[in-house]
Amino acid sequence: MLPGVIALALASLYLSALLAVEKQPLIIGLLALAVIVALGAYWMGWLASVSRSFADRENVLGTMAIVAAFAMAAYFHDDHFVLLLIVTVLLYTVATLGLNIQFGYSGVLNFAGASFFGIGAYTSAVLNARTTVPTLVVLPIGGIIAALIGSLLLLPVLRTRGHYAALVTIAFALLLKAFLEVNDVLGGPQGLQVKGMTVGGWSFNDSIELGKIELSFYMSYFVLSLALLVAAFILVRRLERSWIGLNLDALRLDETAASCFGLDVARWKITAFTLGNFLIGIAGALFGMVGGFVAPNNYTFADSLILVSILLLGGIGNPWGLAVATVIVIVVPEKLQTIQEYRFLLYAVMVIAVLLFRPEGLLPRPLRSYFPGWRP
Amino acid sequence: MTPLLEARSLTRRFGGVVALGQLDLEVAPNEILGLIGPNGSGKTTFFNVVTGIYRAEAGTLSFEGNDITRASPRAIYHAGISRTFQRSRLALPLSVFDNIMIGNHKRLNQGLWFNLMKRNAFKREFEASYRAARALIEVFEPWLAERMFEPVTGMTMIDRRRIEICRALISQPKLLLLDEPSAGMTHDETTTLMDEILQVREHSPNLTIIIVEHEMGVIERITDCCVVLNFGLKIAEGPYRQIAADPQVQEAYLGVA
Amino acid sequence: MDIGLLAQYIMNGLMAGMMYALVAVGFTLFFGVLDVIQFAHGDVLTVGAFTALITFVGVHAAGVHSGSIALLAMLIVAIFATAGLGMLIARYLVLPLRAAPALNTLLITLMLGTVLRESVRLFYPQGANPKPFPALLPANSINFGNFNLRLDNAIMLAAGTAVIVGVEFLLNRTKLGLAIRAVAQDEETARTMGINFVAIVLVAFAIGSGLAAFAGVMDGFYYNEINFGMGLYLGIIGFAAAIIGGLGSIYGAILGGFLFAALQTIGTVALPFASAYKDVFAFAVIIIFMAWRPTGLIREKISERV
Repeated sequence: MLPGVIALALASLYLSALLAVEKQPLIIGLLALAVIVALGAYWMGWLASVSRSFADRENVLGTMAIVAAFAMAAYFHDDHFVLLLIVTVLLYTVATLGLNIQFGYSGVLNFAGASFFGIGAYTSAVLNARTTVPTLVVLPIGGIIAALIGSLLLLPVLRTRGHYAALVTIAFALLLKAFLEVNDVLGGPQGLQVKGMTVGGWSFNDSIELGKIELSFYMSYFVLSLALLVAAFILVRRLERSWIGLNLDALRLDETAASCFGLDVARWKITAFTLGNFLIGIAGALFGMVGGFVAPNNYTFADSLILVSILLLGGIGNPWGLAVATVIVIVVPEKLQTIQEYRFLLYAVMVIAVLLFRPEGLLPRPLRSYFPGWRP
Repeated sequence: MTPLLEARSLTRRFGGVVALGQLDLEVAPNEILGLIGPNGSGKTTFFNVVTGIYRAEAGTLSFEGNDITRASPRAIYHAGISRTFQRSRLALPLSVFDNIMIGNHKRLNQGLWFNLMKRNAFKREFEASYRAARALIEVFEPWLAERMFEPVTGMTMIDRRRIEICRALISQPKLLLLDEPSAGMTHDETTTLMDEILQVREHSPNLTIIIVEHEMGVIERITDCCVVLNFGLKIAEGPYRQIAADPQVQEAYLGVA
Repeated sequence: MDIGLLAQYIMNGLMAGMMYALVAVGFTLFFGVLDVIQFAHGDVLTVGAFTALITFVGVHAAGVHSGSIALLAMLIVAIFATAGLGMLIARYLVLPLRAAPALNTLLITLMLGTVLRESVRLFYPQGANPKPFPALLPANSINFGNFNLRLDNAIMLAAGTAVIVGVEFLLNRTKLGLAIRAVAQDEETARTMGINFVAIVLVAFAIGSGLAAFAGVMDGFYYNEINFGMGLYLGIIGFAAAIIGGLGSIYGAILGGFLFAALQTIGTVALPFASAYKDVFAFAVIIIFMAWRPTGLIREKISERV
C-alpha cells in the first residue's frame, strides 16, 4: 500500500503547486519536472508497483484520494478559477468513465462523446428555464436523454463492424453542431443560459460564508461533482469486476466465440453504450449548470476527439489512468496559455505517439481481479 | 435409440465449392464419434453449421429430437452444445479463470442489479464458480489450477488447448465438438491430452463427443465410431478398423495407388 | 417545378456526386488493399486544396500570369504532394500497425486527420478563415432557356468523369491494377506470386490520395473558396458513400457518391428552408439503410475464417 500512498501524496502536492503557480516559466519548469519524474519512475519500475498498490488496496487509497481532493479544495477555497478547473476535471472524468464503458470495455466506438455531454447541458438549460423540475432531478434526466438518443443512433449499426459505428457517431457529432447552430429554438450559435443548481431553497450560485471565511460558490458544485465522480467510479469498478464486465471483454475481443458461448452480443453492446451515455449526460447536465451557459461551439467533434484522446493516453480500461490523463489534458492548457490554441494538435500528436509506441497507454489496464485482495 | 444429434441431407456451399453435400450423420448418446477426412473436406464447416455460425442451405439438423437447423449460436449453446475452435480462440489478455467463465455463461447470473448491487451474493457465486473451474482444470493439469488468475498470453499451446476445452466443458454440455485439439502439439502432448479427455469423460458419463482429428492414432484409441468426409461428401462410416481398411478412404487420403 | 431550376439542382448534384465519388474511391482502395479505414483521407484532401492554393500564389509571385499554366501547376503539385503524403501515411502509420487491432489504425488515422486539419488552421496565414480560390476556368455560360450551363462546371464534370474512367481503366486493364486487385483479394497469395506487397500498398495510397487532391481542387473551383474544415466534411460523406456502395468495390464507391448527392438534392428540394437539414436527411437515410443492408449495396468482403 505504501507506494500508492506516496504516489497519491506526491500527486496531490504537485497538482496543488501547478494550480497555484501563475508565472509561465515556473509552470514550464513544473511540467518538465513531472515528465522527468514520470520517465524515471517508469524506468525504475515504480509505476508498476504503484499500479499494483492501487489494484490491491483500492478502497483505502480511493478514500484517501477523496480526502486529498477535499484538502486541495480547502486550500483553494476562495479561488474561483482554480475551483472551476477542479470541477471541470471531475466532470470530464465522469464523462470519460462513461466513454470507457463504451469503448474500453465493450469496444463500441463513440466519436460523439462531447455531443452527448452537450445534450446533457442543453437539457439543464431547457429544463431549468422552462420547467419547475428540481435541478437535482434534472441531472439524471440529462443522462437519460443522452442515453436514449445514443441508443436510437446506435441500434442500426450494432450488428455491424466497428467502423460503421465510427461513421454514425462522427456524422452525428458534425450534424448536431450544424443543427444546433441553425435552430433558434435552442439558442442558435449563441446558445442558452443555464440557471444554476438549487437544492432545498439554497442556490449553488451564492457564495458561502463559514464564519469569517468566504468560500467560492464553486465549492458546492465541487462537493456535488466529487460525489458524482465517486459514484460513477464505484459503478464502473463494479461493472468491470462482474460477469457483465467479463461479457463486455469477451465480446470486444472475439464476438463470434462469445456468441458461441451464449452471449447476446447486441444486447450487451447496447447496454454498455446506454450506460456510458447516461454517465456522459449526467456529467454534462451538471457541467452546464456550473458554467452557466451552453453553446454548440463547446461540444464539437474536436472536443469529442479530446475525450477519446484522454482515454487512449490514460490507458484504455483503467479508471485511474483516465483520471490522470484528464488532469493532464484539462489543466495543462489552462495553465500554459501559450499552448491553448495548439491543444488539439498537441493531443493528436501525443495520441499518435502512444498508439505507435505504447498502445496500452500511461497506466495499462491490469488483469481483472473480482475482489481486490481476495485470495483463494 | 434416438440419436443425440442427427443431420439429414445437410448442404452448405461457398460460391461454387460444395463444403457439405447432402450429409447424413448420426451421433448416438454417450458415444465418441471421430470425424475425419483430408483438409477441406468439410469437417470444420460441419461444426460451424451445427453451432449456427453458418446456415445450412438445405437439409435438417436436430438435437435431442428438436430441430436446430435455423438456430443461432446462442440458442445452440443453451441447448447444450459446446465447442472448441481449430484456430485457438481464447481471449489472450484475460486470465485463465476469465476465459473458462466465458464458457459458463448460462450458469451465471447475468442480471445488472445482481452484478452491481448484490455484491455479497455475487461473491458467493464467484467463489463457487472458482471452485468448479479449479476442479475441472485439475483433471487436466494441476499446474494450471495454481495459475487461474494469470493471463493466457504467455502459455504453451497444450495449456491453451486445455483451457479451451475447460471453457467448453464448464457449462456441462451434452455434446462437445472438438476441432483438431491436437493441432500444433507433439505426439506425446497429444497422448497426454487425450488421456485427460478420457478422464473427463469418466467424470461426466453423459457427455457425447464429436472429435475432428488428423492423427489416426488418436482416432483409433478413443473413438467408438468414425465418419469420413471427402469434398463435403460422406465416403465411409463405421468403427476405425473398418474404415481404415476401406479402399475409398485410403484413396482419399493417399491418392490413387 | 421549373425545368431550369430542376436542371440547376441536377447540375449541383452531379458536381457534388463527382467529388464524393472521387473521395469514396480512395476509401475503397485503402480498405481493399489493407482492410483499413483511413480516416485522415478527407483532411489529406484539404492539404491538397491548400497546396494548390499555395502553388497558385507561388506561380503568380514568380510572374507567371497565364491561367492555364497556373491551373496545370496547381493540379500537378497538389496531386503529387498528396500522393506523397498518402505514401508516407501508409509507410509510417498504417503499415506498422497491421498487427494491432483494426481499431488502432482507425484511431491513428483519425488523429492524423486532426493533425493535418489543425496544422492548416494554425500554420496557414489566417487559416481559420475561408480562403478565396482563384477562378481559372472559363466562366462563360451557355443558355438553355432558364438553365445556365456554366462552362467551368461542364469542364469539371468532364474532367472528373475522365479521371474516374481513368482509374477504372487503371484498375481493370493494366498490370498495376491487376496487382492491386490481387493484393486486395488475398495478400499472402499475391506475395507468393511475386507481387511486392509494400510497393503496391504505397501505390494504392498514392492513387487514392491523388484523387482526393483532384477532388479538393475541383471543390475549390466550384465554390471559389476553401477552408480548413472542408476535408472533414467531404471525408465523412465519402466514407458514407463508400459504405453504401459496399466497401471494397470501386463501382460501389462511385455509385455511393452519386447516391449521396442525390439524397442531398432530394433533401434540398423537399426542405428548402435550411441547408443543414439536407445533410441530416441524407445521413438519416444512410443510417436507416445500414440497418437494412449493413454490408452495402455491393457486399463488403468479409474475410474472417472461423
